[in-house]
Amino acid sequence: MSPTFASPPIWHLGDFMKTDPEQGTIRISAEDFQKFREFFYRKTGIQFDASKRYFVDKRLVERVEATGTGSFRGYFTMLRFQASGEELQALTNLMTVNETYFFREEYQFRCLVDSLLPEIVERKKNRRPIRIWAIPSSSGEEPYSIAIYLLEHWAGIHEWDVEIIASDIDTRILAQARQGLYSLRSIQHLPSHTLQRYFKRQSGGYQICDDLRQSVEFTRVNLSERADTRGYRDFDVIFCRNLLIYFDDVSRKTATETFYDALRPGGFVCLGHSESMSRSSSLYKVRKFPEAIVYQRPLEAA
Amino acid sequence: MALIKTQCVEPIAEEAREAPRDCAGLISRLAASDPTARRWAARDLVDCPEAAAALVERLKQEVDVSVREVILTTLTSLGDPIAIAGLVDCLRSEDTALRNEAIEAMQQLPDAVAPVMHGLLADPDPDLRIFAVNILESLCHPQVETWLIEVIDQDPHVNVCGAAVDLLGEVGTRNARASLQRLKARFANEPYIRFAADLALGRLHEN
Amino acid sequence: MKRILIVDDAATVRLYHREILETADFMVDEAMNGIEALEKALQTGFDLFLVDINMPKLDGYGFLRELRGQDLPQAPAIMISTEAQTNDERRAYAAGANLYLIKPVKPERLLAQVRMLLGELHP
Repeated sequence: MSPTFASPPIWHLGDFMKTDPEQGTIRISAEDFQKFREFFYRKTGIQFDASKRYFVDKRLVERVEATGTGSFRGYFTMLRFQASGEELQALTNLMTVNETYFFREEYQFRCLVDSLLPEIVERKKNRRPIRIWAIPSSSGEEPYSIAIYLLEHWAGIHEWDVEIIASDIDTRILAQARQGLYSLRSIQHLPSHTLQRYFKRQSGGYQICDDLRQSVEFTRVNLSERADTRGYRDFDVIFCRNLLIYFDDVSRKTATETFYDALRPGGFVCLGHSESMSRSSSLYKVRKFPEAIVYQRPLEAA
Repeated sequence: MALIKTQCVEPIAEEAREAPRDCAGLISRLAASDPTARRWAARDLVDCPEAAAALVERLKQEVDVSVREVILTTLTSLGDPIAIAGLVDCLRSEDTALRNEAIEAMQQLPDAVAPVMHGLLADPDPDLRIFAVNILESLCHPQVETWLIEVIDQDPHVNVCGAAVDLLGEVGTRNARASLQRLKARFANEPYIRFAADLALGRLHEN
Repeated sequence: MKRILIVDDAATVRLYHREILETADFMVDEAMNGIEALEKALQTGFDLFLVDINMPKLDGYGFLRELRGQDLPQAPAIMISTEAQTNDERRAYAAGANLYLIKPVKPERLLAQVRMLLGELHP
């Protein structure tokens, strides 16, 4: 999904290095936990309170073993000083549950139709289509959710043309998204009338109807590649949820600069629930709407 | 009116990038009146190794924060001695945002920053020494702990030492123990130093 | 219970201020730069802000300017800096600070100033 997070190498050297095979000998002390907590907060913006201690310790021990670093001390040194940042990415992935399904974090779609689009429409001086970019597309749940939400909850869809472009680095997942075939798990949050209207039952699950499949453009993009992103301009809204937390500092900064250029002045970026622009960029204005906090490219800037 | 699909995603607006894509052309575009054009020029200059001086020059007068951020990203990618010298200059700026942008850029360049670190930590201006310690915060370099120990052993300024102790709580090993204890004695009347040194001592990586 | 937001990029400083304030029965939350502080201030009400000047992404001045421009019930802010130049003090007040202190701040001094700004103590 993320360009820097393709597949971190995982060794199992730890299995051979354990001195006590019955009980894990790797202990995370209270000081270790505090130290890790502060480091992880600085790097990812994710804060664990004391009640998460067990959850965090368990995953740390898992990574100490997987990397063969032998102890918290050795592992933390690797985490702090590894230039590639690969291990931090592997750990972030482990610490966050990244699953996608229809209408995930629905409050953001509500924010789109109730707050963002009315503001965008009011500002618009021409009849050019409203453009929405969903990256990463992943298997398509998010762009299709946006499409469904607009059709179901936004009256403006009868007056305005809307383009939805969904991009991902992974061509296999894009093919899957175009096909639009989903498991029961993926569609469980959809109201039944929505399911009936936009999906048809297939042997392998539920498939998005042809009209909807035709209405989203799927493209392959590596967000870290200037040549790939150059053509992406004039968007009114960008959904980039649960991707940037997996990027290293420089890639994250480059990505937010890319979004800046991809947006029309006044355009919005919606990030994931646990994400914040505070780790990557001060280019955007923080806007609070009743439903969500969203980042805006300032209007006045050219 | 409805959901529609365009056939291509090529940019509608090309005017911002009409200048030739050669390095000299890009450098001259850094002074364009349109910030979008300046931003694109700064971004594309990443392919021009000799562009650091021009970028640094532009950085010092650039008022548009979006252009500045891109210049700093490009300078980070170039990472040569001219880029580093330019970033060090930014640390002396009155502009807090520019200083912090320069610190972040330098954090990404351990090998290029290492040769100048000693000089920064010995600068007569205590604020500059604090910024140097701030660079160490996220620097991936084996000497980080050594530099921090030197700071807490030698620096006369309480806030420079305070910043260094904060980091030693994260990267310190047993090598820092004696120095942390000496620091506590040296600033016996500063509750903050006492607090920070005790915290760091409790977190040292010791086997 | 009064709520205070500590805004500082140094973890040890946040912890130091947190200990002092929590011992005096204040409720404390933390942010490590101005943007995060702004996000938190927009989501929750605070009775006071304790703000460092030098921070990545959005510094203390920028945070206060943005905060003061928001349509929110405004709370007092103490700006804390390592720099002792009068220029910074002037800029801090111009950005919307109610008080300017130099690091490191002694516990009793911090508490006295916090209580004064919260109207719990008269100067």
